[in-house]
Amino acid sequence: MKLTPISLLPFLPFLPTLVSAIFQDEVDHIDYHHQLVGLPQRETTFFHRPRRDDKASLLYTLSDVGVLGAVNPGTGAVLWRQLLATNATAGAPARGFLRAGEGEGWLVSALGGDVQAWEAIGGRAVWGVTFNEQVRDLEVMEMTEKERKDVLVLGENGPETVVRRLAGQDGRVVWEWREVGGGIPVQVSTNVEKVFVVSLKGGAAGYNLRVVVLDTLHGKRLDDLTIGAKSDVQGPEDVMFVGANSAAPIVAYTDAARQKLFVNVLGTKTRQEFPLQAGTASVEIHAPHLVQSEPHFLVHSRTATGNHADVYHTNLKTGVITKAYDLPLLPGPGAFSTSSIGANVYFTRVTDNEVIIVSSASHGVLGRWPLDETATKGSALHGVSEVIKRTSSGDSYAVRTAVVTTTDDWSLILNGELSWSRPEGITGGVAATFAEIPENESLVKSLEQEAHSNPLEAYIHRVKRHLDDLQYLPAYLNAVPQRLISSILGTEVSGKQGKLARDSFGFHKLVILATRRGMVYGLDIGNKGTILWSKRAFEIPEGDTWNVTGIQAHESTGKVTILGSNGDYVELEADTGKIIDSAAPGPEKTVQSAVVIDTASGPTLLPIGIDGHISSLPADRLPKQTVVTRGPGGELKGLVFLSNGTGTAETTSWVFSPPKGQRIVNIGTRPSHDPIASIGRVLGDRTVKYKYLNPNTIVVAAVDDKASTLTVYLVDTVSGQVLSTSKYDGVDTTKPIETAIAENWFVVTFFGEYALRDNTAQSLKGYQIVVSDLYESDAANDRGPLGDSETFSSVEAIENPEGGGLPSVVSQTFILSSPISALQVTQTRQGITSRHVLAYLPELQGIVSLPRMFLEPRRPVGRDPTAAEAEEGLIRYHPAIEIDPKSVITHERGVLGIRKIITAPAVVESTSLVFAFGIDVFGTRVTPSFLFDILGKGFNKLTLVSTVVGIAGGVLVLRPMVRRKQINGLWGAS
Amino acid sequence: MSELKTSKSSPKWVADLASPPAHRSKNGSIPDPPGYPSSQTTSSKKKDASKQVQQRKAPTPDEMDTLKLKKAWEVALGPIKSLPMTAIMMYMSGNSLQIFSIMMVFMAFKNPVVGILATNQAFERFETDSNRAKMFTVKLAYVAMQLVALALGVWKINNMGLLPTTRSDWLAWEVQREPLEHAITAL
Repeated sequence: MKLTPISLLPFLPFLPTLVSAIFQDEVDHIDYHHQLVGLPQRETTFFHRPRRDDKASLLYTLSDVGVLGAVNPGTGAVLWRQLLATNATAGAPARGFLRAGEGEGWLVSALGGDVQAWEAIGGRAVWGVTFNEQVRDLEVMEMTEKERKDVLVLGENGPETVVRRLAGQDGRVVWEWREVGGGIPVQVSTNVEKVFVVSLKGGAAGYNLRVVVLDTLHGKRLDDLTIGAKSDVQGPEDVMFVGANSAAPIVAYTDAARQKLFVNVLGTKTRQEFPLQAGTASVEIHAPHLVQSEPHFLVHSRTATGNHADVYHTNLKTGVITKAYDLPLLPGPGAFSTSSIGANVYFTRVTDNEVIIVSSASHGVLGRWPLDETATKGSALHGVSEVIKRTSSGDSYAVRTAVVTTTDDWSLILNGELSWSRPEGITGGVAATFAEIPENESLVKSLEQEAHSNPLEAYIHRVKRHLDDLQYLPAYLNAVPQRLISSILGTEVSGKQGKLARDSFGFHKLVILATRRGMVYGLDIGNKGTILWSKRAFEIPEGDTWNVTGIQAHESTGKVTILGSNGDYVELEADTGKIIDSAAPGPEKTVQSAVVIDTASGPTLLPIGIDGHISSLPADRLPKQTVVTRGPGGELKGLVFLSNGTGTAETTSWVFSPPKGQRIVNIGTRPSHDPIASIGRVLGDRTVKYKYLNPNTIVVAAVDDKASTLTVYLVDTVSGQVLSTSKYDGVDTTKPIETAIAENWFVVTFFGEYALRDNTAQSLKGYQIVVSDLYESDAANDRGPLGDSETFSSVEAIENPEGGGLPSVVSQTFILSSPISALQVTQTRQGITSRHVLAYLPELQGIVSLPRMFLEPRRPVGRDPTAAEAEEGLIRYHPAIEIDPKSVITHERGVLGIRKIITAPAVVESTSLVFAFGIDVFGTRVTPSFLFDILGKGFNKLTLVSTVVGIAGGVLVLRPMVRRKQINGLWGAS
Repeated sequence: MSELKTSKSSPKWVADLASPPAHRSKNGSIPDPPGYPSSQTTSSKKKDASKQVQQRKAPTPDEMDTLKLKKAWEVALGPIKSLPMTAIMMYMSGNSLQIFSIMMVFMAFKNPVVGILATNQAFERFETDSNRAKMFTVKLAYVAMQLVALALGVWKINNMGLLPTTRSDWLAWEVQREPLEHAITAL
């Protein structure tokens, strides 16, 4: 494809008219944003003082979605965020590491092969290095010979283990130590003199713990220890580490049955054995991370119903560990956290109904606060705490604990009071849908009744109903002055307090969001996206993902059905989140996808089995449509269902497999609501180009990795016929390729090569978007071979190639200044409003709304538009589409990790509701053709009303005066 | 002229008293005081004046016919005389939909139609029993001229794009082709 050289100037004057920026007073009124960091991880969350001299500390976390964030512990507001995992939104939770040196103004993080240091206050990057290996552990050396704090990085690159010491100021490598075949590296630790590299050596039957001791100065190997018997450890997950930087770092592991705990003080050869409480399900070890702290640690063992803790002391000289005391078994999972003041170590225990602090030295309770169970909603799972000793008023203590709860919230408890709670579980959304607020059911029922009874009865019923309604009249009349005043002053009409109700514009809807951690959220998008309810649908094991294949809101019943891939489903009420029915996920993946089908008994969500197989259906659930699924080899196939008396039999009607070497990377399907307002496009000379409007079409993007080509197919989903094909060379197949289709056009975005028109020898690479329009015929005023026939059949088109036309395709390519993803097309009620293409900008962390007017294949190339073309709204083709900040609907908000955008029509035609989820949650309303059917906020009702009242008053005063004067003029004596 | 005549017969104040200036009521809702001069006197006076003129000429019926025919032709060709002016104004007012061009188009349609409907009234006063046959051609010409003016109006609305002459004007009545089969994607 060839593009003309850049000349933006000719259509600069059009720019302001084509895009609509958001007004300042609409921010937070029409849009809402949950600025989130993700669920904090046990090992990577801590309080840290960003300034050495300042007492104030901030809460830092590297979450399970790969966001590094700093939160103000006083207010719970996010101070800064950095998205470390660029692909974490799609896959499994990322295992990251985050450490901070005591008293240092920087943090160091590691994820994948990247090690980066961040300024603790502002979140700016200080330095960053990328290694070939995967980072397995990260540690800060608290004391070095150079009076600075350095970073130890443990990496694994296949069989090779690499340990590096990086200078804390600039990330330069001080020394590195390599070893091949040393086993699975698990952890690096340090005390003041030595560095310990812990790895697992062995095979499938079990592993030995192996500790390599290194010299801190040069990284020379000092010792190599093997601890314990073979097959003590079943895998890396059995090993629990603590006290990485303490004076006596330890390594601990349990046996597979969770009956014994083995502890080794690093640097010694012996392992010490302690019994665990019977019925222990999991064990966690909490110990201070500071060199100056006392070498005490706490073993937190959880049983199925309760939790229990033992505190142990390590003798620094002999390396002998002794049990000091234990804390009683209490119900609930419980959360322990460690905090140290100087050498003293305090353990904070958060249970379901109280917060306790104890010193590591003795079992005396230093502080106890009752905890309001209803405030925190769920039980605390893990947390971090900060203990302050108030010496002024005796020996009283204050503690604040940031805990992660079972409801996936992150809450700060200050002395037993809930200070703030962040809904971090809403990150990692996998599926969402808009749902209407359920209408008053009795009204719906009585209306139905009226429709079905005879006219006279219906009339009597109706009169009775209206008489009944009269009881609400006084309340309504009372509310009138308030509504009038708020309408004139433009203040928010708060609606009925605490009650959900639809509004006349259709902006007030619900969004049901399912996250990969098994939580379901209901958001009130008419009320700034507040979380109405949150429910745990299923317990999803940590690190696993709830694979939601289908989500459907039933408008008539107000229910939402969510189908998972493992045969699981949950049905809940949209407005309250009450779970009506559910089935837990099975062990195997049985469902590939789900789809809403029309059956004789109404629309149903139909699960599609693995390899596109559909189990037999009862005859009353016989789908009327052809169902398109993916086959075992990734090919597409169309299935039709035929009734055979008792059940249904599926028949494959067509199969579409891309040519050899190609694989399908993306399939664009039409939005479920895709109304067509006009079936043709009126050209400047008043002729009509008829749109090719076939609802049964999908766009299939297939890439050939070897040849680096992208082929885009337009496939008819009834007949499987390929309607159009286009091929692009020099495409980077590793970069995301996305498609979207609506009305009579589709877009494809990819990263590929293009040549310049004035210098074809030169080829450039860039992000491109290709837009293709489909028309019935190349010529205007022509409806193609089908002529005026009122119906068309895709199957007939195959049998009679002359009779059914292939679409006439007009395409044009544009270069984008930034990559885009999560393509979506705006939807409005009747489709009269022009459409915009919404896309997430991963690099700019925003959502852009690209007008169809720019993405117009018929824009004249290499010349100015003629008068007729200009009348049609065509502007001169310009290859580059700059992302105009005015068209970024997220404006100044940084929206992280958007995975999908969904749109829904409102009642008013001008507006489309937008909801984006992924890590952050963002929603707004867009008006592609401006707000033509409602008065904007800029409309001054006060001026209008006061003008009308003023004129009426003036007329009332002047009218008698003028009349008197006229009568006097005629009748009066001069 | 009238002043000269009246000065010969009677002084000015007599004439003024005999025919006071027409009174136009400012406000219809307020009744005039009793005895206030009404407008009836002025109309009767006008008729008097025309009678006086006719009486003075006293032409023969033949001459009258020729004169009336001439006058009738003038009336018949009247609409076409204003046509160039109208055409220029229409051209100048542009093809956009504004209050000026809309009013102009409205007048361009209203005047010819009203003119055609009132053809007989327009020639009533020139029509006598003797020149009825000749007057028919005059009327025909008059109608033709009005039709030309009407054509100008049609030309104007065509320019404004208001005539449904193109395919796009009938687009709203064309229906979308309904597909006989439906498919859904479960991907």
